Amino acid sequence: MSMKYLIIKLLVIASFFLVSCNPDGWLERDPQNIIKDEQLWNDPKLIKSLLANYYDRLPSLHGVFNTGGMSELDDAMWSGHNDANWHNDFQYGDDYGRYWDYGFIRDLNLTLDNLDKYAGNLKQEEKDLFKSELRFIRAFVYFEMVKRMGGVPIVTTQLVYDFSGDPTPLQVPRAKEYEVYDFIYNEAEAIKNMLTPNNNSQTRANTYTALALESRAMLYAASIAKYNNLMPSPITTPGEEVGIPASKATDYYTKSLAASQAIISSKHFQLYNENSDKGRNFYDMLNKKGTKEIIFAKDYKLSLKVHRFAYDNIVKSITEDNESSSSLSPSLNLVESFDYLDGSKGSLHFKDSNGSYILYDNISDIFANKDGRLYGTIVYGGTTFRNLPVNIQAGVAVWENNSYRLSVAPNLGQKYDIKGGDNGLWTGFDGPKDNAQDVSNTGFYMRKFVSDASGASTRGTSAENWWPWFRLGEIYLNAGEAAFELNKPEAVGYINAIRERAGFPANSIKTLTMDIVRNERRVELAFEDHRYYDLKRWRIAHEIWDGNDNNENAVIYGLYPYRIVHPGHPDNNKYLFDKIRPTRFKRARLFRMANYYSSIDQNVLNNNPKLVKNPFN
Amino acid sequence: MKRNILSLIIICNLLLSGCGYDNFDEPTAFLMGKVVYEGKAVGVRTNGPQLELWQDGYGLKKSIPIYIAQDGTYSVALFNGQYKMVRKAGAPWEAQLNDTIIVNVKNKTEYDVPVTPYFTITGEGFQKQDNTISAKFTINKIVSSAKIESVRLYLGSSILTDQNKYEQVQNADIATIQVGQEATVTTTMPANLAQLDHVFVRVGVRATVSNEYYYTQVQKIALK
Repeated sequence: MSMKYLIIKLLVIASFFLVSCNPDGWLERDPQNIIKDEQLWNDPKLIKSLLANYYDRLPSLHGVFNTGGMSELDDAMWSGHNDANWHNDFQYGDDYGRYWDYGFIRDLNLTLDNLDKYAGNLKQEEKDLFKSELRFIRAFVYFEMVKRMGGVPIVTTQLVYDFSGDPTPLQVPRAKEYEVYDFIYNEAEAIKNMLTPNNNSQTRANTYTALALESRAMLYAASIAKYNNLMPSPITTPGEEVGIPASKATDYYTKSLAASQAIISSKHFQLYNENSDKGRNFYDMLNKKGTKEIIFAKDYKLSLKVHRFAYDNIVKSITEDNESSSSLSPSLNLVESFDYLDGSKGSLHFKDSNGSYILYDNISDIFANKDGRLYGTIVYGGTTFRNLPVNIQAGVAVWENNSYRLSVAPNLGQKYDIKGGDNGLWTGFDGPKDNAQDVSNTGFYMRKFVSDASGASTRGTSAENWWPWFRLGEIYLNAGEAAFELNKPEAVGYINAIRERAGFPANSIKTLTMDIVRNERRVELAFEDHRYYDLKRWRIAHEIWDGNDNNENAVIYGLYPYRIVHPGHPDNNKYLFDKIRPTRFKRARLFRMANYYSSIDQNVLNNNPKLVKNPFN
Repeated sequence: MKRNILSLIIICNLLLSGCGYDNFDEPTAFLMGKVVYEGKAVGVRTNGPQLELWQDGYGLKKSIPIYIAQDGTYSVALFNGQYKMVRKAGAPWEAQLNDTIIVNVKNKTEYDVPVTPYFTITGEGFQKQDNTISAKFTINKIVSSAKIESVRLYLGSSILTDQNKYEQVQNADIATIQVGQEATVTTTMPANLAQLDHVFVRVGVRATVSNEYYYTQVQKIALK
């Protein structure tokens, strides 16, 4: 009996093996761990996350809260950890600022190609928007390359090797410098209308970011065309990979001005002007998010993505962390470039014409009546940060034998409690202290970009204030400069608008000069990744930073406040100021002709014999 | 125990002995000389202008920089072989990028590199009187299209005195300087120099097309 059952059982089991399922499609399953091209390029959410990656990779030289980079070419020195003191003791190499990122260009081209190939289910306007954003990012990357390298190969499709043994189709020669600028302009013109759906975003490319890119790129091209050819020996290559013909300047200035005017007249943005305290207003303009000033920003969020600019640079005694702080010490030269509100030059009055000290009742008095942007950019003695008073005082000036003896305490925050001392403050908790680390070496601290949010200066929390790629203040300055170069009378109006926001009276400038335009850019856009490129395109970098130890512009100086100890005398407890050259600042900045265009990596040259080298290297 | 120690020693020996294959010999040949115009060394800013060496015959190329001392001398450690030398831009002399010089390096090779400065200074003489130092010199134009940008007298406390490092500088009035004729520049020493035992002086001339000065050789002047 049991035998019979066994046979039936076997037969049933065997039949399971022999039957096959029909149709075969039952076995065809989509993989669970791979996203296929058709899925990716038809899913707006996935494409947006890819775009987020590309936006995050937008290049800058020393922008995006790069403290170390700023100490190399902005108006500040490094006063953080001694291990990084090479920032104060280095020369711009031939490769300084080299940027040759065709990996990124390929990623962008591949995305554009695949959207065309696979994105059949996306709505047309959605597809156009994505493609326009990608083209904006690509134009932005080319702008970064042409700023630093001159004309670069323009590659707009994927380069795919065909294994024929002949790599020459992959070897694209360099375009002329102006061809790259034209490419950027034409791309921005082509995409600006397709980007309108993004116009209410400040972190995605839209019509106004495309116009802002035009405004800046055309201004750069125009000033290279003009000023390069005014040099005794213009920097050019025979194939125009470097150097733009002077005849193109007017056209480029006109294009830049038109783009700036389109942004300004759209009324979509406003110069931030909400606080009657103009210094505070200027600080808030960058520190508060979502203001109408910002055209395009890189955003941060505490729960996702943070930066440590506040940890790096906050005033020493106010830091909430136990390390770092005070890595950048802004220079006296920058402080002096902020004009007085009555229109006079911004030099600080610390010594009279006889060379004797000028005395002040309060530390902050010497900075009284200055451009509001000074307060908004720099922390100086007698001010506050996060509503806490800073404690800046270098030491005491003791009146002895008819002159002042400057004396510095061994420790920060120490009272002048030695024998004969008056037990008042000797050296402040915030220094400045020469040759010390993590405390200001110049007497000044950073305020711009340093977040005042609670916990922003700790490594555990960090900061989430955003980085402005483009803002309306720059557009006004671009418009003013372009209009000035084109001899248009409205130029002065743009500059005066910027100055009025900083606290100057209306129409503070009657006659505009190029020097005023340049100084306005220096003070308005300090530490925003502009100074280096501005000096380059005006072709004055080699004069400003000539490596000379006696050049005020090439050396970072400091101004140390001292409290006067002169018991019984009316000058007692007043303040005097002493200009010093910080010990840690070792080498005057030297910008050589070779630095106007960074050298191309020898490996790149070896791979592509069609590339020509930049001049001087 | 004895065996343990023995094997330990053997292992240590193995670890400490290197393998000949993964080490290259260091370069032992030397190329040295001066940068000269008409046989006379050209003074430069220390660590300023550079020459470049290239070598053919390999798949990939990479230049070897030659740094030049302030008196115009250079020296570079190499392997024996044939090199191409390039006089590149960014110097007080003309760039001759297409005019490479072929140098055969063997053991210790001396080679003086001929260059064409835009200007030279000859017949320089310095005189000290009380607290002033005056320099007499003649500026010669070598490249006919060149124009003078500036002529300066430098005083320094060390032998490395040039446009970047000096204690005192005096600009010559270019309008009065005639090419080929003797010119004089006088300067007063500041107190910090006047109290020294000696100062170092040199004269430099820069052409408008260059960002480097041509310097005379540094001279030491005794003050006491």
